[in-house]
Amino acid sequence: MSPLNARTSDTAGTTLINHWQRGVPVSRERVFTPTLIFFAVIAFIGFTLALIRFVSPLGRFSGMNDAYAWGIWKTFNVMTLTALGSGPLALGIAAWVFNRQKLHVVMRTALVSGFLFYATGLIALGIDVGRPWNFYSALMPWRWNSESAMLEISICMPLYCALFLSFEILPLILERFYYTGSGHTKRILVRASPYLRRMYPFMIIGAYVIPLMHQSSLGGLLLLAGTKINPLWQSPCMPLLYLLAAGLCGIGFVTFLLLITCLRYSRSLDVGTLIELGNLLSCACLLFLAVRFIDLAWRRQLPAAFSMSRMSLLLLFESILIAVPAIVLRFKAARETPRTLLKMATLACLGGMLYRFIPTTIAFDPARKASYFPSLPEVIMALGYISVGIVGFGLAVKFFAVLPGDDQDWNHVFRPIALPANWMQWPWKVVQTDAPAKSKGERPSLVSR
Amino acid sequence: MTSAINRRQLLRRFAGVGGALAAVSASAEAVEEHPAHPVAPPDAIAMLFDNTICTGCRACMPACNEANGLPADSLMSGGIWDMPSDLNSKTKNIIKVYEEPGEPGYAFVKRQCMHCLDPACVSGCPFDALKKNEWGAVTWTGSLCIGCRYCEVACPFDVPKFEWDRWNPKVVKCEFCFDQRLTKNQEPACTAVCPTGAVIFGKRTDLLAKAKERIVDSPGKYFQQRVYGEHEAGGTQVLYLSNVAFERIGLPKLASTSLAHYATKVTSVMYKWLTGPILMAGVLGFAIRHNWNRHEAERPKREKDTGFPDQL
Repeated sequence: MSPLNARTSDTAGTTLINHWQRGVPVSRERVFTPTLIFFAVIAFIGFTLALIRFVSPLGRFSGMNDAYAWGIWKTFNVMTLTALGSGPLALGIAAWVFNRQKLHVVMRTALVSGFLFYATGLIALGIDVGRPWNFYSALMPWRWNSESAMLEISICMPLYCALFLSFEILPLILERFYYTGSGHTKRILVRASPYLRRMYPFMIIGAYVIPLMHQSSLGGLLLLAGTKINPLWQSPCMPLLYLLAAGLCGIGFVTFLLLITCLRYSRSLDVGTLIELGNLLSCACLLFLAVRFIDLAWRRQLPAAFSMSRMSLLLLFESILIAVPAIVLRFKAARETPRTLLKMATLACLGGMLYRFIPTTIAFDPARKASYFPSLPEVIMALGYISVGIVGFGLAVKFFAVLPGDDQDWNHVFRPIALPANWMQWPWKVVQTDAPAKSKGERPSLVSR
Repeated sequence: MTSAINRRQLLRRFAGVGGALAAVSASAEAVEEHPAHPVAPPDAIAMLFDNTICTGCRACMPACNEANGLPADSLMSGGIWDMPSDLNSKTKNIIKVYEEPGEPGYAFVKRQCMHCLDPACVSGCPFDALKKNEWGAVTWTGSLCIGCRYCEVACPFDVPKFEWDRWNPKVVKCEFCFDQRLTKNQEPACTAVCPTGAVIFGKRTDLLAKAKERIVDSPGKYFQQRVYGEHEAGGTQVLYLSNVAFERIGLPKLASTSLAHYATKVTSVMYKWLTGPILMAGVLGFAIRHNWNRHEAERPKREKDTGFPDQL
């Protein structure tokens, strides 16, 4: 029996069959749920603060100081969260370079989440830098200091997000225009489609090379910090390890996101793709751990790693978080059980995030007596950026064909972008989005409501 | 599923690209921009501070403030006089006193930018706002700085300071009085004003020789019989002689390898003429083209089977 036709059931009785054939918009849920409004409010507060910060000194809005010059906006929103946003990189390479064709269907989830992580990270960077008005130098190559990892990041990250990721999510947006637009729009899009397809393979080369460069440069940044970073983390291998951590976080986060959104929107799952993701995740974790510990052994830091000091416990905690999914997901039964897969993906993400976060903060120990703890506005702004991502994803799955689903769920009905008739009354009732004429032709859905 | 080439051929082609990569990286190593142990250029200037001579009069501090147009940091003194607690955004130069509880005596130390021979801040600065200038002075250009504060993270001596309380923040650090005095043929304000000669200005080679002379002249006087800054972090253009442990007066224990060398030794090869990224693009592009063509070839059948257009 080929895995595509496999029928398995987990202990909870959820039957897994292969349901993911294409991106399908969520069309039976109301758009503005209380959760979404909650995050939108946080995003609004965060962005209001960010706007105020933009016209006032940095010191009042953050706990940063001269010894800890980088706060959570850089160390968490950028360094850590863009690792979670590396799904398009990791899964894209698996799908297009290593020809893992099952992964094509989850690419859209990876792309939208990755785009949002990068976009919010870049906003965080823009608010964090002290003299953003001088950033126009990025357009003048003769001003570049080409050996600086910071230059690499400050140019490649916006380029990746604004050009390559945007291009990759363009089909998703055009598709909506195609199905909701007039005949004229359709004709234009049909005519444009071959050109987009011709560009696509070239654009995805850039979409993989550029993040390979800047995700490793994020680790390269910390090389210059030298002895300020604890030797358990400070290593010439950091660029490679940061890249591998991005890979494992990217795969782990897409798995996590797929599972929780399919749970939330009662989507059926797809055992073939989940097994593939679980397998990839476990391989990424194993590879990361292998490089991590070979590097520690090479630099003769293994005794320090197991010395049970505060830093060694932190390292072991971080490694166990990655080792558990690496081992558990080697078992087929675990890969086939969505609950286990969800737990393991969460652990892997946490482990990878810890690895990316620790060297910049907890293991960062400048000689001077100083301490850093994020101030309240700093935390609110960081949460605001994350909330923008959550709101963005919540809206994207409802207006665009992002989440993978069954062919049979696809009825060409995209939610119209219009305010409901009763929008003045709060809380909103379920918005009727399926036009009766169109839903008549709808095939029976496998989605149980 | 038929393909133009089989797996073995594919692997062979990858191996060919790998060999080319190795050959290019080997040839790129010819000139090293950041040697592990940089050699000071012949015109390199320096400062020599000897804490056995410093009396702690702090004449250098107001002189520095005056030359650089810095305000008095009067927070600690209740708004009365300049009394910084450390180097900060209002203080480019400071005399600090170190006392060991329970031990007699004390030691002064003058802190300012060390003007490393191969500065970490300069190699990290994205748009060359921090630059190793003529005679080796490390200077900051406001019109190029984006305020990323990487210099603060990179500097092993914790020297660059950021104006956290200003909307238009500057990075404040000693610039060897480059614009203020060096270009006008004057020595830096602090060395010019020092009444005892605890800090002196000169060519690095001369001062290094002088410092070693002092060590030879009074054996046992100086800590470890050596000059701090001769090799630290690849060598600095501020040299220290001390009668107490360098770590005690706040000078960190550093390896003799330049940090810029450590940080760029791999990337400078990989990114030389963008060789690494271009080769990577070639390897990825080869596989992507192969898989893309197959994907496109299979597309009509897939679309016919499912009845839906292909999604990218």
